[in-house]
Amino acid sequence: MNDLSSLKAVDIVQKLSQNQITKEDVRGFFNKRITDLDPYIHSFVKVFTHLSPADTGLGIPIGIKDNICIKDEEITCASRILNGHRAVYDATVIGKLKQAGFLIMGTMNMDEFAFGSSTENSCYGPTRNPWDITRVPGGSSGGSAAAVAARLIPWALGSDTGGSIRQPASFCGVVGFKPTYGRVSRYGLIAFGSSLDQIGPLTTNFVDCAYLLNVICGHDPYDSTSAQVDVADFSKSLIDNVEGLKVGLPQEYFRQGLNSDIAKAIGEVAAVLKGRGAQITNISLPHTEYAVATYYIVGCSEASSNLQRFDGVKYGLRVKSSELLDMYKKTRGEGFGPESKRRIFLGTYSLSSGYYDAYYVRALKVRTLIKRDFEEAFKQVDVILTPTAPTCAFKIGEKAEDPLSMYLSDIYTISANLAGLPAVSFPCGFSKGSLPIGAQFIGRPFDEEILIRMGYTYQTVTDFHARIPLVTHG
Amino acid sequence: MAKSFETVIGLEVHVQPNTNSKIFCPCPTEFNAPANTHICPVCCGYPGVLPVFNKRALELAVRTSLALHCTINEKIYFERKNYFYPDLPKNYQISQYALPLGENGHLELSGGKKIGITRVHLEEDAGKLIHREDCSLVDFNRTGTPLLEIVSYPDMNSPQEAWEYLQMLKLIIQYIEVSSCDMEKGYLRCDANISLREEGATQLGTKIELKNMNSFKGVKDALVFEEKRQRNLLLDGKTLSQETRLWDEVKGKTVTMRTKEEAHDYRYFPEPDLVSFSVTASMITEQRQYVPELPLARTKRFIDEYGLSEKDVEVLISHRWSADFFEQSSVHFPHFKQIANWIIGPLLEITNAFPEGFSKIKMSPGEFAKLVRYFSEGTLNNITAKKVLTEALTTGVDIDKIIQEKSLIQVSDESELDGYVSDAVAEHPKSVEDYRKGKSQALMFLVGSVMKKTKGKANPKIVREMIEKKIQQ
Repeated sequence: MNDLSSLKAVDIVQKLSQNQITKEDVRGFFNKRITDLDPYIHSFVKVFTHLSPADTGLGIPIGIKDNICIKDEEITCASRILNGHRAVYDATVIGKLKQAGFLIMGTMNMDEFAFGSSTENSCYGPTRNPWDITRVPGGSSGGSAAAVAARLIPWALGSDTGGSIRQPASFCGVVGFKPTYGRVSRYGLIAFGSSLDQIGPLTTNFVDCAYLLNVICGHDPYDSTSAQVDVADFSKSLIDNVEGLKVGLPQEYFRQGLNSDIAKAIGEVAAVLKGRGAQITNISLPHTEYAVATYYIVGCSEASSNLQRFDGVKYGLRVKSSELLDMYKKTRGEGFGPESKRRIFLGTYSLSSGYYDAYYVRALKVRTLIKRDFEEAFKQVDVILTPTAPTCAFKIGEKAEDPLSMYLSDIYTISANLAGLPAVSFPCGFSKGSLPIGAQFIGRPFDEEILIRMGYTYQTVTDFHARIPLVTHG
Repeated sequence: MAKSFETVIGLEVHVQPNTNSKIFCPCPTEFNAPANTHICPVCCGYPGVLPVFNKRALELAVRTSLALHCTINEKIYFERKNYFYPDLPKNYQISQYALPLGENGHLELSGGKKIGITRVHLEEDAGKLIHREDCSLVDFNRTGTPLLEIVSYPDMNSPQEAWEYLQMLKLIIQYIEVSSCDMEKGYLRCDANISLREEGATQLGTKIELKNMNSFKGVKDALVFEEKRQRNLLLDGKTLSQETRLWDEVKGKTVTMRTKEEAHDYRYFPEPDLVSFSVTASMITEQRQYVPELPLARTKRFIDEYGLSEKDVEVLISHRWSADFFEQSSVHFPHFKQIANWIIGPLLEITNAFPEGFSKIKMSPGEFAKLVRYFSEGTLNNITAKKVLTEALTTGVDIDKIIQEKSLIQVSDESELDGYVSDAVAEHPKSVEDYRKGKSQALMFLVGSVMKKTKGKANPKIVREMIEKKIQQ
């Protein structure tokens, strides 16, 4: 059989639609890779062997993060508290994928309720980085990123609240795109931070990224926060030309804490773009240092409320007790993992009377300042270039006991969520230790097009995205 | 000398506006459906769902705010009220807190006193718990039904005044057709806050919240009980502590539900799943059209303009329908007192027996006015007029047609009646004798027998005169 692993997903789509390969063959190919390699990576929560390609249109394989509802399928957010719960409806994006002929291969591992940056906080155990299985794949969409990197699936959907698509994309050497807030319907995405969450694609390259964005973007009457803004055909943004476009490098993103290999790699991205005619400028985003604190207050506050529905009354886990309060306590005590509890505590605290103004309200004010930083910056430049993460993939267990240093993994990705901006991480090199490095573009609201254009141009002259990890037994 | 106290009462009323669907999902709001048949993933708070605001609820809330003279905030948003309870599937209620839709309104009682309204806001209802011996069940049908919360200032000073406020509020909401306010169906619910303070004191006393009253009478009874309980405690020199108490209707007393220490911290914050909504000038203008002359103003006008008694007006005004029907009928036959009498008497008597009240009557005000005119002109007598009225109300057939078909026109022609009168006198010699002896009831008996024989068509006044004449001959 053909080796499909080096093909772009869109090439597989084309072959399927031109009957050059059968959907059974495509599924068989990826199923074999999953069977052979996923025992080392553990990117899947569940492989859907019961779905038949015959029932799907073209049979385009895709993986879905375990927090997006697929009708009749188990959905757990990698949490014991949703043990055994099956979705009773399709998320809007799943409806769109099914319509477009996709075959869902399975659900992808993640940090419980998307709380984390390493995919270690999963009730199913950690996912491993295909470039080095002693290391984390990043998170929280670590299963999606690792599986795409290892070509167990041609592409996947993840969700991004503070970097949960982009940070694992950078750790795994794939393209991870977080669209503008409101671009993709959140209906059917189990909420973490409702004002921050966006669903987005993880792909190996920008051509696939544009294709998948075309499928999932658009206004949804079932999501009041989804924007009534026209969606362009993103394939038209696959233009190999960045002549005259202004790229800003925010100085605050290149200070202490940034790994020197990464700093160097980002400099090289700027050089490549400059070589293609882009203008590189230094800019300032002065409130950057407050982003992490602001994010943890806003995100955890919303999460603490969003997760209240998991109480043992209606679905998922119930630890029985004759007393209601005791049933709540036991169910939530046993159902949630330590990181979820930590964030529920944080959020509950910051919304409590007496603390609300000092924490939540203040965080909203800072959020506005961060948004304004970007508005100012985008008066000078068309796109912002930054590192995606301060380090490359770290060792499994390395930061497990140090939540604060884990939280800092998202230091460069969080601001785009707070400001609601589109942002993408793409592979731009390897560290001395041969680990992938990711660069990030951030764009104006609803200007996904420029990110695709920049990224596509970059990938026409580089090949980091085309390298495939050789998954070995350590 | 015994101290005297001033009672201070504020009321928190929840009204269910009559939308067809729930406030954040398309499920129907129909009452009394089998448990958990009007539910969907959204109102059951399934993972991943999002609310979509039903604009109809906003329109009705705007209308209510206008009728209560509130200032309307141009931009509104929802907040989450967080607390755990099994009837609340998300364990937060989508409500309004910092910025309600309507603020600073008032409601005027019939005596002229104005009761301030602090706020009118929209929120979603919770479900219903059904407790069994070995378990508790939840019915989510009511979950997500829209509710209007209407909160008064503590401006009432007696349980009677609170009762009057509720009556007037209910009437206004019925007038603007926002809700039937049927308490039995839970379309109107009321909690009360009551405190006592020494006469002349400027600070409010310790507030007690009362819940679980199922009727206006229950509200009044609970307040009367609580007023007395608090007064006795204060007279004993005791201090009250802030708490929520439940009204036990059977025992006729209030009992502690929770103390201030047990009160929830609701951790309100803006609902991130909903955007903010603009209350546009055009929406306000449109809703203002549905706010008619309010009951109190109408009462005054009916007395002044139509010269009706206060008592009659009270009955007419008690339903918007009857007041409207009065005015519409009066246009056709401006004999106000007679129109009013026929509405208050026969019309309400007949329609009260209809299961759907007068909302389903088929008679037009013009036809009704014609009926009253026929009666006053003597074309129909009391009995035939009621007969025609009953038929017209249920069938909608023109009264002229009914009268013709049933040949009900009153017979006043003496030559036509003469035979009936002679027969009556001949057949009842005992009654004739009694009348001659001065028993006036005997005459009524004779008139009645003629009416019976003519199937009610005879003009009773003429018949009576004829019988008198005949007997005296």
